[in-house]
Amino acid sequence: MASVLTFFTEFPFELFVIQTLNGIVTGMILALIASGLTLIFGIMDVVNFAHGELFMLGAYMGVIVLSTTGSFWLALILATLIVALFGAAMQIVTLRPLVGRDPLTTILATFGVSLILQNYALWQFGPVARKINEPYTGHFNLFYLEYPWYRLVIAGLSAALIGGFWLFLKHGKFGIWIRATMQDRVMAQAMGIPVPLVHTAAFAIGAGMAAASGVLFGPLVGVNHTMGLDWVLKAFIVVVVGGMGNLGGSIAAAIFISLLESYAAIWVSPAQAVIVSFIVLIFTLLFRPTGLFVPTPK
Amino acid sequence: MTDDTRDHEGFWHRGKVTRRSVIGYGVSAGALGAAMLVPAPWQAAFGQAKPYKIGSLQPLSGAGAAGGKTALVGLQMAVDRINKAGGINGRPVEIVVADDESKPDVGRRKTEKLLVEDKVDAHVGGFLSNICLACMPVFEENKVVNMISVCLDTTLTTTKCNKYSFRVHDYAPSQAVAFAPELVKMGKKWHIAYADYSWGQSTKDAYADEIKKAGGEIVGTTGIPLGTADMTSFLSKISGNFDGLFGIFFGKDGVTIGNQAFDLGLTKKYKWAGDGAIAESTNLPALGSKIDGFIGINRYIPVLDPPFNTPSHKKFFDDAKARLSKIDSSNPDPDRYVQANYEAMNALKIGMEKSKFRGREDTDKLIGALEGLEMKEGDDFPQGDKTLRKEDHQAFLRQVIAEVRGGKYKVLKVIDKDKTVFPPACKFT
Repeated sequence: MASVLTFFTEFPFELFVIQTLNGIVTGMILALIASGLTLIFGIMDVVNFAHGELFMLGAYMGVIVLSTTGSFWLALILATLIVALFGAAMQIVTLRPLVGRDPLTTILATFGVSLILQNYALWQFGPVARKINEPYTGHFNLFYLEYPWYRLVIAGLSAALIGGFWLFLKHGKFGIWIRATMQDRVMAQAMGIPVPLVHTAAFAIGAGMAAASGVLFGPLVGVNHTMGLDWVLKAFIVVVVGGMGNLGGSIAAAIFISLLESYAAIWVSPAQAVIVSFIVLIFTLLFRPTGLFVPTPK
Repeated sequence: MTDDTRDHEGFWHRGKVTRRSVIGYGVSAGALGAAMLVPAPWQAAFGQAKPYKIGSLQPLSGAGAAGGKTALVGLQMAVDRINKAGGINGRPVEIVVADDESKPDVGRRKTEKLLVEDKVDAHVGGFLSNICLACMPVFEENKVVNMISVCLDTTLTTTKCNKYSFRVHDYAPSQAVAFAPELVKMGKKWHIAYADYSWGQSTKDAYADEIKKAGGEIVGTTGIPLGTADMTSFLSKISGNFDGLFGIFFGKDGVTIGNQAFDLGLTKKYKWAGDGAIAESTNLPALGSKIDGFIGINRYIPVLDPPFNTPSHKKFFDDAKARLSKIDSSNPDPDRYVQANYEAMNALKIGMEKSKFRGREDTDKLIGALEGLEMKEGDDFPQGDKTLRKEDHQAFLRQVIAEVRGGKYKVLKVIDKDKTVFPPACKFT
């Protein structure tokens, strides 16, 4: 009883609230990246190792558009569209010819593309990191911290993009085609759905979502050729924990893992806190390999 | 008559010219012609003199690639200058570059290749400390001189030193000796946030010791894993009653902490200081005005104010800037990685000249020449004077404390190399 009392009297409520906010913001960025990844896997059974580089490419496109137009919002829209088009071209050139082959070939192909894109960015843009200026620079007081409004903007925009995508999947004609192809590719083709076109469009949407998250997150870290590497591993964990190809599961897993890491940081060192996601991954693979957020098959 | 001859006759006399044979002969003739017409860069100046092969392990891909690229610019600058001036002992210098991919296991494998297969005469390079640490024993096993050009981990010249490795730039204990008294003048109580790997950990220990010795106090430390993109949940924990936040980060992690510590108001609430690598010239564009007010220590900053207002430094600065503009359209200023590689190669040159180095058989003579080497400020060493201590092969050099404001450096204090000396802690086996 005394130990319970001590726990509550010494419980760092202020830090807990701050970490809840941090976890949700990080979770929303991760969810935006992972939803593109899980869409591509769900529809094509392709593990896209170049997803981090599409994130990075989006950020660089954002830098270029921002320096030309001075508008962050235009940078966000144009970078998303340009990288989506690039994603479509990438799917047609590298992945479409591999349809029906061993899944290992698509892993190798996307890994190759990721290396090419990374080195291309280093060659094209050079070693100096670039900056994307955030559209809002204001802060509000959160206990002992000044908390930037922009982090909340990122979370809100990520949620809006994911929500918009969910509505598109639910009600749009193309969205229904995507869902049908995800459920049963052969049957969808038999029903007259142009599956190759759906594959290309889904890859383009996934690439566009990665690019949008690159532009949104760019102001917090600076833009460099390896910025995608820092996110893509965690995005893969999220996709596995959420259930491969399960969009809702990936979003829930992204927020769940980010919150766990943020809470862990209250009591353990950062090096130990970042292990939390791997622990969740191991337990998921051991006890529920279909994913934590997938309904139990009846 | 061999089959080969018959084939040749067939080509010229049989009149049966196939597309395949034309392409094959064309490629062979082209390659031969190219080899005859385009000599190696040094051949015009040096005739048949055998070049010295200098190996250089750099991260040209992966997380450290941006720094590796600028490091290589410095090395190439030095080699071009040496070859233009007649080489070393009348022989040209050739660089054999290996990409460690920013991974220790790859770095070790590539170092073995440089030493065993490429048979380099000496090595200048090494960027990431964990890779330098992994490769140190390879130089000892193969008895080849290793001029460490960027790695800063303290143990490289203390507990893990070996007689074949030399560090021609500073290390954390000497920077801490130089900076700690100034830090304590800024505030007594400090919290240290550091990159949680070999360099960050050893540098944190060095600063913690020196700040305490100078009468200050360390109230807490936060180690953040390398490559953490969102540090906010770790930085949010930093609070309480202390005077200054001291950061030990480099590369993109330097950009991340600079941006995110500012966003949380930490750099306004506390004095903000740290290793100069946070605000390296190549990081400044991505930090923007968020790094304003940061006070860092560095051996080199790209300014033409005192103590860098020398003709030698101006020459170095202009050449480095011209070369960097070719690999980055943002026209960056040179950073300490360019400077350190440039000077490490020049130190090796002086050692090779003094020892009349012919090849690996003279490695012991080269070590003798490098031990205790006094380097004078000038075209070879635009950063300033240096001493390469015999006992641990660690250099001591001038340090600069500077503030960043408006994307520019303002030199606050220059600390003479003699005031950066830290006792040796190395025993060569």
